[in-house]
Amino acid sequence: MSRKRLLGSIAALFLLAIGVTACGGTKTVTKTVTVDSNTSGENSSGKTVKIIASVPPTDHGWLGAISKDAKAAAAQHSDVDFELLQAADSDSQAQQIEQAIAKKPDALVVLPQDGAALTPVAQKAERAGIPVINIDRLFTAPDAATATVLGDNYQIGVLAANYIADQLKCKGNVVEIQGLAGISVTTDRSKGFADTIRKKCPAGGLKVVAQQPGDFNPDKGLTVMENILQAQKSIDAVYTHDDDMAQGVVQAIRNANRAKEMFLTGVGGSSDAMKQIKEGGLYRATFLYNPNMAGTAVNMARLIALGQGFGELVPPEVPRQVVVPAAVVTKANVSQYEKYAFN
Amino acid sequence: MTKILEVRNLVKEFPGVKALQGVDLDVLEAEVHCLLGPNGAGKSTLIKCVSGALEPSSGEILFMGEPLPPGDPAGSLKRGVATIYQELDLVPELSVAESIFLAHEPRRWPLLDLDKMYRESAALLARLGHDSIPVRAKVGRLRPAAQQIVSIARALSGNVRLLIMDEPSAILDDGEVTTLFEVVRRLTAEGVGVVYISHRLDEIRRIGDRVTVLADGRTTATGLPATTPTDQLVEFMVGRKVEQLYPERPVGTDRVLLEVRDARRLPAVRGVSLQVHAGEVVGLGGLVGSGRTELLSLIYGLDQPDEGEVLVEGKPLRSHRPRQAIRRGLGLAPEDRKSQALVLDWSETKNVTIADLGRFSRVLLDIRKEREQAREQLKALNTVPDDPDRIVRLLSGGNQQKVVLARWLLHKCRVLLLDEPTRGVDIATKAEIYRIISDLAQAGLGVLVVSSELEELAHICTRVLVMREGEIVAEVAGKDATERELLRHAVAPTEAPVLAEEVV
Amino acid sequence: MTEAVRGSAFAQRVKTLELQEYALAIVVVLLFVVGAILKPDTFPTIDNVRNMLTQASVVGVLAIGMTFVIATAGIDLSVGSVVAAAGVFGGILVGSNGTSSLLFIAGTIAFALLLGTVNATAVAYGRVVPFIATLAMFSIARGIALLLNDQLPVSLLDLNGGSFGNPRPFSLLWFGNGRILGIPASVYIFIAIAVAGWIVLNRTRYGRYVVAVGGNREAARIAGVPVRTIIFSVYVLSGLLAGVAAVLLCARLGSASPVSGNLYELDAIGAVVIGGTSLAGGRATIVGTFLGVLTFALIFSLMTQLNLSTEVQQVTKGLIVLGAVLLQRPEARY
Repeated sequence: MSRKRLLGSIAALFLLAIGVTACGGTKTVTKTVTVDSNTSGENSSGKTVKIIASVPPTDHGWLGAISKDAKAAAAQHSDVDFELLQAADSDSQAQQIEQAIAKKPDALVVLPQDGAALTPVAQKAERAGIPVINIDRLFTAPDAATATVLGDNYQIGVLAANYIADQLKCKGNVVEIQGLAGISVTTDRSKGFADTIRKKCPAGGLKVVAQQPGDFNPDKGLTVMENILQAQKSIDAVYTHDDDMAQGVVQAIRNANRAKEMFLTGVGGSSDAMKQIKEGGLYRATFLYNPNMAGTAVNMARLIALGQGFGELVPPEVPRQVVVPAAVVTKANVSQYEKYAFN
Repeated sequence: MTKILEVRNLVKEFPGVKALQGVDLDVLEAEVHCLLGPNGAGKSTLIKCVSGALEPSSGEILFMGEPLPPGDPAGSLKRGVATIYQELDLVPELSVAESIFLAHEPRRWPLLDLDKMYRESAALLARLGHDSIPVRAKVGRLRPAAQQIVSIARALSGNVRLLIMDEPSAILDDGEVTTLFEVVRRLTAEGVGVVYISHRLDEIRRIGDRVTVLADGRTTATGLPATTPTDQLVEFMVGRKVEQLYPERPVGTDRVLLEVRDARRLPAVRGVSLQVHAGEVVGLGGLVGSGRTELLSLIYGLDQPDEGEVLVEGKPLRSHRPRQAIRRGLGLAPEDRKSQALVLDWSETKNVTIADLGRFSRVLLDIRKEREQAREQLKALNTVPDDPDRIVRLLSGGNQQKVVLARWLLHKCRVLLLDEPTRGVDIATKAEIYRIISDLAQAGLGVLVVSSELEELAHICTRVLVMREGEIVAEVAGKDATERELLRHAVAPTEAPVLAEEVV
Repeated sequence: MTEAVRGSAFAQRVKTLELQEYALAIVVVLLFVVGAILKPDTFPTIDNVRNMLTQASVVGVLAIGMTFVIATAGIDLSVGSVVAAAGVFGGILVGSNGTSSLLFIAGTIAFALLLGTVNATAVAYGRVVPFIATLAMFSIARGIALLLNDQLPVSLLDLNGGSFGNPRPFSLLWFGNGRILGIPASVYIFIAIAVAGWIVLNRTRYGRYVVAVGGNREAARIAGVPVRTIIFSVYVLSGLLAGVAAVLLCARLGSASPVSGNLYELDAIGAVVIGGTSLAGGRATIVGTFLGVLTFALIFSLMTQLNLSTEVQQVTKGLIVLGAVLLQRPEARY
């Protein structure tokens, strides 16, 4: 080949080699959060805290509430420069976060569409010195986030199992309508439920006769439940992973005129669910999984960026993991929780 | 003279049919051996056996005295047998050099040796007298004639000894055909043997040394000199005397059916005026690029004219759209019937009725009526088979053309615009089409025919208009027209007359 | 080849045509039989058949429209999102306390028609490639669905013409669960649209033109077919039917959800393609689409009833689809 082309190829290979080393290098950044004696969250330095939040596509009411809560929390602080990025899908969320890293924010708040898939890019942010606060769907490596805020999905499963087992006295057929398959939220909720049923009803009288994903989507919930209703002649309880999705499940049950046969539980604490629980009947309980954990995450991000911590802790630091407690909401106590309902 | 190719008693059977039933053929070094025969005679099967694309059932194929490995295209290619098909097998996005060396590119491990590729391509093209074709240009941008030269160069790049060309002149006009013949002569001068398949008897006379005629899978005559008179050749092909290739020349009336006034659409059509009378067949001759097809598109409403008017039976066409043209009685049979006229996956019926569905529907289509009327038309034109449900893709070129004609006859159109109606059509069907055209004219239609076969125009037209560079430069009465005369007008006076003494 | 060859090859073709054309029908029957064997108490029951047909009707209506679009060698990726957007629009129109089913139905269909017309304009007049134009609408419509009611669903439970458990005929909820002679209203609508689709495609000039445009656009143009108008019309039709599908879905769901219709376009396209309509245009079959829709409904019902895990479901569905396509005529595949 001609000399020009040879030189060109060598140059290209050279650049490629540089590129590879630059991206693949391993650097560990040990982070020390300098603790200020000021623990009330006041910003005496006057600096603006730049926070970028990345959330998945809002194909779900709960996720919509997350975005709203994050924005509302940021608006409470005058020193926060807040940007919310909404991804179109899992792949583009990774790209968005990459772009966000380039803007060098003081902190990143991330609710990944898929925790495992986005772990590498979160690790990248951490290595670049940007603290990451992980909401809800967990990353799969400990160095991917400085702090995590999540609901207690496993606990929700436990609470739901306890409630259903108590109501049915450990005897009956249970249907589980799961969320989006493969993410930590769903796996934890299912596992918590299954483990507790085994422990609480060792005799095996309480059977999970059907377990199908509803993808957190009401029409999927509707069609899946319609089919399960066909297959199961006798159902005593339905454990759903999500209030919004449950609306479709509820409709399927009603359309089949079998609302009196069973009862249903949801997760989340949406206002529709609370309304139906208050009215009584098919929808008996839900377990709080409040999207205002996003607000908590934003507040934590701000504290970390300012080098501050929770005043109640000695010494005041931002804890690595905050688990928002779940609570059982039934007709008995629904009036207490109504004000926290989302949507 | 050495025999490059010897085919002895070649038989090829497919399940249900014997495509070749004992074919004999020899091709000498440096000769142009023409292969003639109606569609279905077995010409394609024969050349596929020789090129290795098919394995013969029995018989011998000897190449340079040695048997050719059967059913081995790569092997045949290595031995020096190259085939140029009618649908050139070129990739439009590749450059000329890349196409020529496709699958055997020169390399400097592990990369391509582009310099060598360009150099050798240029050399090959020069050997063919066409070094003006740029080796880096994309093949898709070249004219069909140039693309064909690239195909031939590709064959040369593999050290060809026997070149098989399947209807190469189908996509060329007369001027380009002459150029092609020069290339062929250069090849034979180097000792290459050429098998040349064509329907055009005049070409066979011009370029061929000897002729073999196939019919129904058999050799009906071989080793005939190319100067054998046409009707003898036709008789060998069809097995009987074809009364005459050309029917009675129609004489027009005074009634003007179609009139074009100063039609202009740059750059192809630069001001054309003509008239077509009832009962006459008007020919439009000229070289490729003279604007004939564009003129038809203009008349029919496929393109909008910059200026000018088209009048049908005295009334001007208001809007230029095919629907309007059809409504007023025009019908177009386009140049490339497969891509422009027919829906190949449809039945004959649907292709016939598509232009006039209103005839069979008030709200819903009357399927039965549709089928009946379509069949009537197809029968009238002697379409084989006239099975109204037969998928059009399966028909021969000639019969496909009849389906297109049937469409316009069903619609009872008044002026037929035909663009290369006998392209890719075998001799026997050509004769039929000429008769159909003549009959239609006699029934009172007006016909405007564009053709690159000047000889054809000279025989079937009432009068012939010659176009050159977008204008009509001559009008010759049918009975006075000869191929030479028409070509003279078609070629610009500043160019050297292309034919010189080659015309017989 | 001589005419004799062509003749016998065609005869062979006719024989194979009969087998392959009905291949999908065989698949449908097979699925039903398998279901009947594996779940004899619950699968082959009238109730379940009713259930499957009802579930099939939403995607089914979409698939009929999609057949026309694909017949012109086009595609409409936006129908799922349009279903969501139209439903939410209808819900907003009726308002949180409204009770007019007619208003909802009219509003929903009108909005979907509007979105379909936007697609049609982009493709036919803007000369945008259908894939791109409808992909854009896929995104836009989803955005509209989320924007219209601040990402929240709109409850439609009041649109029942009186009482919940027993909706008045022709009120919205009746279209979801109401029955005439034991057959759900939505199934009647699906079948009516399928029959109408068949008649239009096969027995009208318009239908013939649609297939001509897909079969060979240039030839159609030369034969006088108003190509641009035809292309415009099929996207409008697709939009219209998306509106109808939205009504049926919202009727069953009791609400208009902005996240509904997710990936319905893929199911619709899948049903059309395994039914035998060619993506390259020029060959379309409503019967095939109908069978394709049934196939998907059967697969979904069977797998859910068997309580198969998601992963197994996905693999199985993919294999069944592949199998159905392989049984088709080679040319019909693409």
